[in-house]
Amino acid sequence: MTITRVVLVEDDPDDRDMFYSFFSSRKHLKLLPAMANGVELVEYLQNLGADEALPDLIILDQNMPMMNGRQTLAFLKANERFANIVAVIYSTYADSNLIIECKKLGAGMVAVKPITEEGYLKMMDNFLQLVRK
Amino acid sequence: MGNVMEPQSSIHTLQAEIDALKTQLEEANDTLDAIRTGQIDALVVKGDDGHALYTLRSADHTYRIFVEEMTEGAVTLNAAGIILFSNAQFAAMVRQPLSKVLGCPFIQFVAAADRPLFEQVLSAAWQDSAKREEVLLGDMESLPVQLSLKVLDFDGDKTLSMIITDLTQQKKTEEELKHKNEQLEALNNALLSSNHDLQQFASVASHDLQEPLRKIQVFSNFLMERSYHALTDSSKQYIDKIISASNRMKTLIVDILTYSRLSANDAQPGVVNLQRLVDEILEDFDLKIVEQHAVIDVGELPVVEGNRGQLRQVFYNLLSNALKFSTPGSKPYISVTAKPVKAVELGVALLNEEEYCHISIRDNGIGFDEKFAYAIFSLFEKLHHKSTFEGSGIGLAIAKKIIDKHHGLIIAKSAPGKGSEFSIILPLKQTNLR
Repeated sequence: MTITRVVLVEDDPDDRDMFYSFFSSRKHLKLLPAMANGVELVEYLQNLGADEALPDLIILDQNMPMMNGRQTLAFLKANERFANIVAVIYSTYADSNLIIECKKLGAGMVAVKPITEEGYLKMMDNFLQLVRK
Repeated sequence: MGNVMEPQSSIHTLQAEIDALKTQLEEANDTLDAIRTGQIDALVVKGDDGHALYTLRSADHTYRIFVEEMTEGAVTLNAAGIILFSNAQFAAMVRQPLSKVLGCPFIQFVAAADRPLFEQVLSAAWQDSAKREEVLLGDMESLPVQLSLKVLDFDGDKTLSMIITDLTQQKKTEEELKHKNEQLEALNNALLSSNHDLQQFASVASHDLQEPLRKIQVFSNFLMERSYHALTDSSKQYIDKIISASNRMKTLIVDILTYSRLSANDAQPGVVNLQRLVDEILEDFDLKIVEQHAVIDVGELPVVEGNRGQLRQVFYNLLSNALKFSTPGSKPYISVTAKPVKAVELGVALLNEEEYCHISIRDNGIGFDEKFAYAIFSLFEKLHHKSTFEGSGIGLAIAKKIIDKHHGLIIAKSAPGKGSEFSIILPLKQTNLR
């Protein structure tokens, strides 16, 4: 089974902890260090050497300081090197405007943040299906 | 005039001649009076070589009376700008007796600051014949007036006639209107900015409230899933209460957000098939309908113009209420029917040519006291105790706001225990109403 390299971009420590507690033990997932906002992610990606592997899945929180999910998504899709990475948005609230806008920008999915463990597992399954496609 | 004296006339004939002359004098005096008071337009006088016609200059009777009676000032100036004629009204305007006005240069009644302008207008009027200008009369208690100047030609003898209109009232009205407009604009701006602030507030508050609320939901769920067995019975109850209260709060916030967003965006109306819309919603309620053994009767519904998402929300909220507020122990029966209505049949509130439809959503639920029929459309208005019926109390407020935005009406009719009926009156077309 191939290993999927996942980056979570999330400013909320509780949400980061939760995410790691659910998924860090999964064998076919490699959780890269979490980023606190879009600026950190951009910096991380740009510092990757040409021979280093890019992440397969980037999970972006929408509401973050400095550079929010939507802005980060726009950066990724405008950049040839990163445009093919599956990027998804997950947010506490997702109104139709946000969904439409992010889909237009090229988000693989726009999800509402789950409130149960079961919800998290389902959400991740959906994200991973996008990567496999 | 024409009588030939004879030397041999007797005293008697002389006396007769004196009488005849007296009569002629009286007639002449009458004629003069008549001329002076403007009752005569022309005289025919018998002379040595036949009759001569004497017409009076500007003596048209009707116009003379008219000029005296009118509320405007009227003057006639000669080439030197001296007032040859003035009506009483102009004399009153400049607060002078008429006798003092006649023979004066008009310019002396014009406010000093406006005299150069008046001279320009005057010379222009002599050249182009007709002019209009606003000037001030008098220096102390100045009077704004409009001058209408026109050169009149009498047998090669040119005079300038001028109508002077008092603009005091007009200026006052203009001033008031301007003031009122400014007030209105200020109010409007205040309203716009407070509306904007309110929307901004509702949106930001709702978004930002959702994050900590989600934490409460997440961690109380974790407690429930992972440590429920370790809790005492009372602690389990507390957890249940936390979860249900936070779920309720989530509903509230989402509904406030929906409500505030209704003011913000104005999408172009599309074509909405209400029949299909209601069918779709009933599919969503499938499980509830089966559970409650509800019977739902949907008549023929029209196609209207509107915002589909918003209209869906209206019917969703009303049908959800109809199912929610059912009479315990009896099967809910809900009917959705529609009939066309002409605007005129609806009375004064909708006085135009538009065609409307009257949609009725009727149920046999618990109903409510009709004195609340208006209040139920307000934000957070709940008639039923929250433990009996879940919900935010915003559903009907949202429905009303959407129907208002569609230039329609929504009315509730009910009595406790008798079920309720919601009537929606909706224009078929939005285009002419925007």
